Amino acid sequence: MIIRAALLVYFLLPAQIATSQGPPDATKLLQSATDAETRGDLEQAIADFRKAAELTPSSSIALLKLGAACMRKHDYAAAIPPLKRAAELSPDSLPVNQLLGYALLSQGYAMEAIPHLEIAHDSGALGIAQFQADLYEEAVVNLKNALAKSPADTDLIYYLAKAAAALSSESSERLLVKFPQTARGHQVRGQSYYSAKMFSEAEKEFETAIALRSDLPGLHLELGEIYAASSQWTQAEGQFRSEAKMQPGNAEVAYRLGEALLQAGKMKEAAEELRRSDSLRPDMPETLYALGRALAVSNPNAAEQVLDRVIAIETRSPLAAQAYLLLASTHRRQGKSDLAARDIEEYKRIHNITSRPEQ
Amino acid sequence: MMPICLLPLFLAVSAISQTPKPSPEPQFKFTPAQGIDFVLRNSPTSRKYLIETMPGGVALLDYNNDGLLDIFLVNAGRVADPLRSPANFDRHDPSYWNRLYRQNKDGTFTDVTVQAGLQNAGDTDYGMGVAVGDYDNDGFPDIYVTNFGRNILYHNNGDGTFTDVTAKAGVAAGGWSASAGFLDYDNDGRLDLFVTRYLDWTPEKSKTCGRIAEPMYCPPGEFASTTSILYHNRGDGTFEDVSAASGISAKPGHGLGVAFADYDGDGFTDIFVANDAIEQFLWHNNGNGTFTEVALNSGAALSSTGKKLSGMGVVFQDYDNDGLPDLIVTQLPHEPYVVFHNDGKGSFSAQELETGFGALSGNVSGWGVGLEDFDNDGWKDVFIVQGHVFDNVRSYDSSLNYREPPLFALNRNGRFEKGDPGSDLPVAGRGAAFGDLNNDGWVDAVTTSLGERPQLYLNRGGKSHWLTITLRGKRSNRDGYGARVQVNGQVRFATASGSYLSSSDKRLHFGLGSADNCDVDVRWPSGIHQKLRALKADQFVTIEESEQ
Repeated sequence: MIIRAALLVYFLLPAQIATSQGPPDATKLLQSATDAETRGDLEQAIADFRKAAELTPSSSIALLKLGAACMRKHDYAAAIPPLKRAAELSPDSLPVNQLLGYALLSQGYAMEAIPHLEIAHDSGALGIAQFQADLYEEAVVNLKNALAKSPADTDLIYYLAKAAAALSSESSERLLVKFPQTARGHQVRGQSYYSAKMFSEAEKEFETAIALRSDLPGLHLELGEIYAASSQWTQAEGQFRSEAKMQPGNAEVAYRLGEALLQAGKMKEAAEELRRSDSLRPDMPETLYALGRALAVSNPNAAEQVLDRVIAIETRSPLAAQAYLLLASTHRRQGKSDLAARDIEEYKRIHNITSRPEQ
Repeated sequence: MMPICLLPLFLAVSAISQTPKPSPEPQFKFTPAQGIDFVLRNSPTSRKYLIETMPGGVALLDYNNDGLLDIFLVNAGRVADPLRSPANFDRHDPSYWNRLYRQNKDGTFTDVTVQAGLQNAGDTDYGMGVAVGDYDNDGFPDIYVTNFGRNILYHNNGDGTFTDVTAKAGVAAGGWSASAGFLDYDNDGRLDLFVTRYLDWTPEKSKTCGRIAEPMYCPPGEFASTTSILYHNRGDGTFEDVSAASGISAKPGHGLGVAFADYDGDGFTDIFVANDAIEQFLWHNNGNGTFTEVALNSGAALSSTGKKLSGMGVVFQDYDNDGLPDLIVTQLPHEPYVVFHNDGKGSFSAQELETGFGALSGNVSGWGVGLEDFDNDGWKDVFIVQGHVFDNVRSYDSSLNYREPPLFALNRNGRFEKGDPGSDLPVAGRGAAFGDLNNDGWVDAVTTSLGERPQLYLNRGGKSHWLTITLRGKRSNRDGYGARVQVNGQVRFATASGSYLSSSDKRLHFGLGSADNCDVDVRWPSGIHQKLRALKADQFVTIEESEQ
């Protein structure tokens, strides 16, 4: 897609460039090659452009046209020599550098493509080349710039995601290699263990990180999540409480604490914390569902209201199905058997939709 | 026994509330059972045949009516690697036999398997579970053994021997049976038989899952579902398969555990089937020989977060002393064991978090389960035998363990708190049966685990009072299964079923706290209502069904 765009740029170049330079034979050849290219006869066009280039060795136009024709034929390897020569002759030419950059990139010479794409100011292709050359930080910057201009370009979105992930990984690696005994080093190592489900190793890393820098936000949250993943709710609650003290305005921390309290069976405290989370960041369906669960037995009327909010937000998701199921239980406890039966029907309807395998 | 009036309920509750504080000592003494050399030989293979990880059951029964509980243990079988079809589990070797151990007066046990005629387990059968009930009302408990293959009904001849009457009785079933239990679903005074079946599995249909270098047992979803079986007792020593006529076979599942109780008080025993990885089944007894599966609409199908349970074991008794039978279902980790609280009017709500099971059981795998008043304080406690399905689970999730100690949780006014079972020995636990082995008034536990001898948890006792009741039905079935028995405000439903693959002491045990006497109210399956007043505590009583 990017290469197609570049060729379009090239064909928008003023036609007179092609016809105003060189001896008459070369001019004729350029014209006949252009005609052949227009007809779609790329073999003939390439042959004529090649002859024209031989007749005008100091001009970059025939070389540029030859390279472009090769690229239209998807013969990127053949495009590189004439474009390289054109770049020597016209080092500042935007189309020459752009096409050469593309040709090199398409053949895997990302590092070599970068200076040409820089001259061409093509931030998208440059970002891709930088990603492929392991220059993730620069790649992220250029791909974000390109995406600002072409927000629907799926190639750019894909490469930005890859580059950002690689940058994250590279940065973590740098922390581990250069600063292994720092709090952040232990934190990153803990995250790796957590991803690999090595919970006891992850726990030790986070404990060390907290011992080194107890003031760092996020450490208690992550350690709490490790405990939560292994259903150690008392320990999880302790960590989430520590994080909530540090970040009283963080809705996610309040949610996590509420969920831990819920799992530990402390329904009243859970409801308080989940209400706090809802006030910090309203209408988060997971928070509302957990709040409904906390209230379901002790206060079915309040649970009903909260679960209605979940259903209003999440109309057809698995969470909506869960909410209907809980609502059915709540309605049964309220003696509203008709509503409970309706809830079960809704649960079945949504569950059937959401559990169906994708086509 | 003379029928008498009940004391007001508040007096009963008052007695319970004066319970002495619990002892800091472990409730149980973990001890080897002297004379029991049985090893549950499940024969794990490199191919990870799912069947290898599922046995085996244990029963506590007094087969010779000498007043002492005896122990019957189901063994599994030899699994060839690879296993060929038709499967032969080669159970000629005595180490693969099921075993009956008679309890001696000194608390030791003697292997009486051969003497009792129980040594032939069948080469085509891989052993799973056991049910106990006096199906012919002759006063001697009979034994039903479930298998992959042909199930076996052993009639107790009353002279210390048993006879395989499967062919005559017509209860061989077939396929992969798991838990079974005797109940009188039509209140005709004869025990019927319910058999859960797990999966439509055969050696040819077997699969191995996991990584090539680290295979693991496949989840049940990899295999087709199958149906449970209901046998109606004709009263002439034969049974009729009424699975289709009763509606039971209309809904295939992954049945592993089964428990019985009349949850809606209509006088007919209902059936709960713990299914693995699908919705649970609650079969409502319509009172006319048919059943309707109502779990989803009753609130007993899924966890409180709408998740399907890996249902293994189940118990159907009243944990919160409101007189209604509740359900506790054990399952695999990352979800707590589920408590379905009976809210009355035929509906349940999942209250595993409110009851404390979120903190007690989020990361363990539960199988056999008992809800008994182990500390005699008037509230039924929980004992669950644990261990993961996969013997290599740690290579997939380091937070999980194949071998785990049991969970013992004390009931504090309807909320469970971790107690001390007296052993933290991790085992791959499976079956569990409960009963008062040494007749001291305190309930003990016997559990099974893969590749090991059974574990015996002898209750250390304490100062609280108790009452243990044996029912003797006349119009009702002789075991009194299905009777609703209330003692000082607590309720038990008479059954030996529940747990996983296992059968418990049929006697009904009640902890009385500080109360030194009690009132008893029995509602028999026949409809007869019998009351006894001011019985002295700390005794074993037999209640014979009155004429009216």
